[in-house]
Amino acid sequence: MLDLAIFGQHLLNGLLIGCAYALIAIGLTMIFGVMNIANFAHGEFYMLGGFVAFYLVSLLKINYFLALPLAVVVVVLIAMLIHQAVFKRLRDAPMMTTTLVTIGLSLLLEHGAQLMWGPQPQTVPNPFPTAPLSFFGIYTTPLYLFSMVVTAALIVVGHVLIQRTRMGKAMRATFQNREAAALVGIRIDRVYIYAFTFGAALAAAAGAVLGGFIPVEPTMGGIATLKAFVVVILGGMGSFVGAIFGGLLLGLAESLGAGYFSTGWKDAIGFFAVILLLLFRPDGLFKRG
Amino acid sequence: MLLALLAVPLVVRDEYYLHLFVISAIFVIVAQGLNLIVGYVGQLSLAHAAFFALGAYFSALIFLKLKWSMWIGLPAAAILTGLTAFALGWVILRVRGHRFVIITVAFAEIMKLVASNWIDMTRGFMGLPGLRIPALYVPGIGSVDISSKERFYYVALAAALITFWICAKLVGSSIGRAFVLVRENEVLAESLGISAFRYCMIAFVTGAAMAGAAGSLYGHYVGFVSPDLFNFSYLTIMLIMVILGGKGTLIGPVLGAVIFTFLPELLREASHYRMVIFAAILIVAALFMPRGIIFPLVEHLVPQRWRKNNAVTP
Repeated sequence: MLDLAIFGQHLLNGLLIGCAYALIAIGLTMIFGVMNIANFAHGEFYMLGGFVAFYLVSLLKINYFLALPLAVVVVVLIAMLIHQAVFKRLRDAPMMTTTLVTIGLSLLLEHGAQLMWGPQPQTVPNPFPTAPLSFFGIYTTPLYLFSMVVTAALIVVGHVLIQRTRMGKAMRATFQNREAAALVGIRIDRVYIYAFTFGAALAAAAGAVLGGFIPVEPTMGGIATLKAFVVVILGGMGSFVGAIFGGLLLGLAESLGAGYFSTGWKDAIGFFAVILLLLFRPDGLFKRG
Repeated sequence: MLLALLAVPLVVRDEYYLHLFVISAIFVIVAQGLNLIVGYVGQLSLAHAAFFALGAYFSALIFLKLKWSMWIGLPAAAILTGLTAFALGWVILRVRGHRFVIITVAFAEIMKLVASNWIDMTRGFMGLPGLRIPALYVPGIGSVDISSKERFYYVALAAALITFWICAKLVGSSIGRAFVLVRENEVLAESLGISAFRYCMIAFVTGAAMAGAAGSLYGHYVGFVSPDLFNFSYLTIMLIMVILGGKGTLIGPVLGAVIFTFLPELLREASHYRMVIFAAILIVAALFMPRGIIFPLVEHLVPQRWRKNNAVTP
């Protein structure tokens, strides 16, 4: 007999993780779509978001609600620097070069974080009461609900920005056809830097918000990158909406898989899906026709 | 050159440096295997560290469960890893570009999960301890104990030299020329009747088998096998050896493997600094020096007539 409360608990956990996956994957899929780069360093922005938030709140004693956006701003500045120093040069480089460079960058940021903050896991201190709340037998905490609302809101904001603003339109045009976009007067170099930093900002926000209950450590970026790749491939490489659904799908699949199947093997679900999809449905699960 | 290599244990008495010589000989094998795939047929496989780890696990399981020594375990590990690569290659060598890269990563991650979660077989994160180096039977002398560092060095050196010989033969043959053509222009290769799939497969399986053999040597030498072998950092080091050594050249990755085994150890007091430095080197080399650093240097320093024309530079 399926216990509904436990099932609901897994769903809730999966939804939050799924929102975080979606936030990280949106940037990865945008960089892939616009710049044609598989950015193996993307998850490091998630890690940096967590560490900068931790640093601001626990060491500089800045108010939690101020520290979260501030952390995103700091990571955006870092991302701009990285874009100008490295990604700018990758524009027409062969795939071998871009992949090796982003692998190197991922290593650089991970070990740079080790040097700055040490290897021990940290959590971002937060002002929420720790007493659990209960709805219909499903337990949660205020922090958890807050994270859920923030990540979901950010996904909506991201979606609106990409669908409604001029820059969003320019990004989508560049993705469809770079030369034609340049021809009609879209400044491609600006599109690149916006797409890159926007993606970094979303990942950093996920890291800062989730840092309240998921331990922040230097190695988390590499894992986040792999998860984001799974999401991007589930949703179709370069597809923005696909990244959102892919993220939720992976979060739910992992949460239910861990709950009813095995914690150790849950990560394998996504990787198997990736191999099968890339071989048989390279445009992702949701593409029609 | 050969004499100098043979004399290493006579000159180097320090246990620690001898250890580094053994490790670098093992990584010479790994780097040459990776070079066949990345350098010669030009496919960026990120599954190479997984093949290395698989070889170590195959060999360890053969030793611990079947009680067969390394002399069976080593070729068996090479063959089993090669077969795994064949099965994987059969499906993935049909795709190219980012899809290929990402599938190899997914494969490596799945293998790591198998090693960490199949507790009955692999003991998970506790790893498999208790591997031993077997005695070597020499006709006329009887069995010789080779478990000391200076003696095992000769075993690793022999394996590295055999690998080098295989690579040299392969690259110098018509197969090697087909490799390069597939890398440089796949459409042209296909139009000449050279199957890109087939030659990628040859490089992929041979390279993986070398990684498997090296993994077996490594496992028996260190005496312990664990899922850590699947870590991305091993892969990064292997890539650095090949890319900075000079991909698509015979001697470049060999020198890369030796130099990048010794270099990190010289910087070992600052382990994270050294990874940061390495990462920066990898980025700069990939961006500005597509031919690597070490091979162009060698080319510059060694007169033309001393070199065989074994480099097919892009």
